[in-house]
Amino acid sequence: MLESGDAQTQTPHAMLARNTADELARQEYVKSLKFHLASKVSPANALAFAANGGKPEDNRHEVARLLKNDPFYNTWSAMLRTSQELMWRSVQLPIERTFDEIRDRSNVVAPVGGTLELDPDLEIPAYHRHVDIHCMPGGYHSEFAQEDFSSGAVYDRAVYLYAMGRMGPENSDIGDTLINVVKDRFADLEPLRILDMGCSVGHSTLPYVDAFPDAEVYAVDVAAPMLRYAHMRAESLGKKVHFSQQNAEHTNFEEGSFDLIVSHILIHETSHRASRAIMRECRRLLRPGGVVVHGETPPYRDLPGFDAFMLDWDTRNNNEPYWGASHEIDVASICEEAGFDPDKSFEGLQLSAFDAAEAKRTRKFQGGDFGGGGQWYFWGAQA
Amino acid sequence: MAVVGSGTFGERRLDMALELPRKAKGQRPKYFEDAAIDRVLAITLSLAGEVSVLRDRIDTIERLSAIGKPFGPAEVDSFEPTAEIAADRERWRSNYLEQVLLVIQQDVDDLKQRNSTHSYDEAVQSVETT
Repeated sequence: MLESGDAQTQTPHAMLARNTADELARQEYVKSLKFHLASKVSPANALAFAANGGKPEDNRHEVARLLKNDPFYNTWSAMLRTSQELMWRSVQLPIERTFDEIRDRSNVVAPVGGTLELDPDLEIPAYHRHVDIHCMPGGYHSEFAQEDFSSGAVYDRAVYLYAMGRMGPENSDIGDTLINVVKDRFADLEPLRILDMGCSVGHSTLPYVDAFPDAEVYAVDVAAPMLRYAHMRAESLGKKVHFSQQNAEHTNFEEGSFDLIVSHILIHETSHRASRAIMRECRRLLRPGGVVVHGETPPYRDLPGFDAFMLDWDTRNNNEPYWGASHEIDVASICEEAGFDPDKSFEGLQLSAFDAAEAKRTRKFQGGDFGGGGQWYFWGAQA
Repeated sequence: MAVVGSGTFGERRLDMALELPRKAKGQRPKYFEDAAIDRVLAITLSLAGEVSVLRDRIDTIERLSAIGKPFGPAEVDSFEPTAEIAADRERWRSNYLEQVLLVIQQDVDDLKQRNSTHSYDEAVQSVETT
C-alpha cells in the first residue's frame, strides 16, 4: 500500500514561514490532491493509451499523437496543471502574511561565516525571463519588495510540497544522492573547493558542507531573492556556504579553482546554448582530475515511449520549455564539445539517498510526481 | 559586485502589503474544447480544497471542545496537529478525494473494463433480443 507523504515534517529552520492551521490545511490538500493524481489517476493513462491502439514499441511522439485528444488524458492533465497552480498559491499566502516576521527572525540568526554577494547589474538570462519556470508566479528572479527574499521563501516550501516530502525534511535528496555518486565513483577526489551551480535556496548545496567537512562550499544562482533566502537559510541551519549572484555560463571564479562542481535540476531550466556554455565553464573551472556531476531525471532514450511521454508532461504543461530537449542530451558529445575527454564522461542512475520515503514512492518518473522515482539520473565528466 | 550584508534582508516597502503575482508568465494550456470547462474544473478543485480546509477546522474545534477549556479563533488558528491527528486527516482527505473525484474513478474503471466487457449498446441489444 502506497503511503502519502506528510506536509509537517519539513525542518522548521528560522526562515521557513510559519503556517496558520488553515494555511497548513490548504497545503495538505494540495499535497493529497497531487498524491491522488499520481497514484490513482495517472496510472490509467496507460490504459487510455492502450485503448487508443497504443503499442509498447511506440515512441513518445506516437504516444503524444494517440493521447493528445484523449478526454481522460486531458482531464488528468488539466487537474495536474491546476494542482500546480493551487500549490504556488497555498505557499504564497503565508509568505505574504509573514514576510516581516521572517525578516525579523533572520536578524537574530547567529552567523556561521557564510557570505552573500549580489550583483544588481547581472543580466537575467532569457530562459528565465520568457516564462515563469514550473509556473511559479514571478519566477526565481522577480522582486516585489526591497531586499526581497519572497521567491526563495515560496520555493523552499513549494519544493517540499511538490516532492510530497519525499526529498527529506530539508529537501536535500538530490544533493545527498549526488554525494553518493561522487563517493562511490571518485573515492579519491577529496574535494577542497566545491561549487554548486544554480543553487536556488541551497537545499541541495548544504549536504556538501557535512559530507566534505574540509571543503569550502560555493554556490551561484542568477536570482537575488533566492540567494538572500539561501544565505539566511544556510546560516540558520549552521552551514557555511559562500553564495554569489552569477550566471553559471560565465562566472568570475579563477580557472582551475574547483575540485568538484555539481548542479541539481539546473540543466533542464536553461537552454541548448546555455547548457553547452555551462559545460565549457565547468571545464574552465575544474582543476585536472576535478569532476562535474549534474543531477536530473532520466533521459528519454532509456525509457519506454509511454514513460518518456509521461515524464515529458512538464515541457508543455508546466512551463519547462527546455525539459524535453534536455532529456535528449548526448552526454559524451556535449562533454567533448566542452573540451572534456569523452572517455571520461559518465552517466547513470543512483538510488535516492533518502530511503525513509520508500513507502511513499510510486517508483515512476512521471509528470507531477517529482521525487517518486526513488532514483536520480546523473551525468558529468572528469577533467 | 556589491557586498550585501544580512542587515538589509527583506526591507519591504512600507506603503503596501506584500502582494505576489497570481499568474505565472506563459500561456496556460487549454485542455478542453471550451475554455470555460478549464476554468470550471480549476474552480471546482480549488473549492474542494477550501472544503478540506474547513473540515480540518471543524476537526480542530471538535478536538478543542473535547478538552473542555475555553477557546477562540486564536487557539484554532494556532492548533498544531500531532502526527496521529495528521494521519487521521490524511486518511479523511484520501477518502474525500475519492468521493469528489468519483467520476474520474469511474473513467478509470471503464478503461480497465473496456477490453473485457461489451458496450452499453451491445448490452441493450442483448436484452432486447435474447
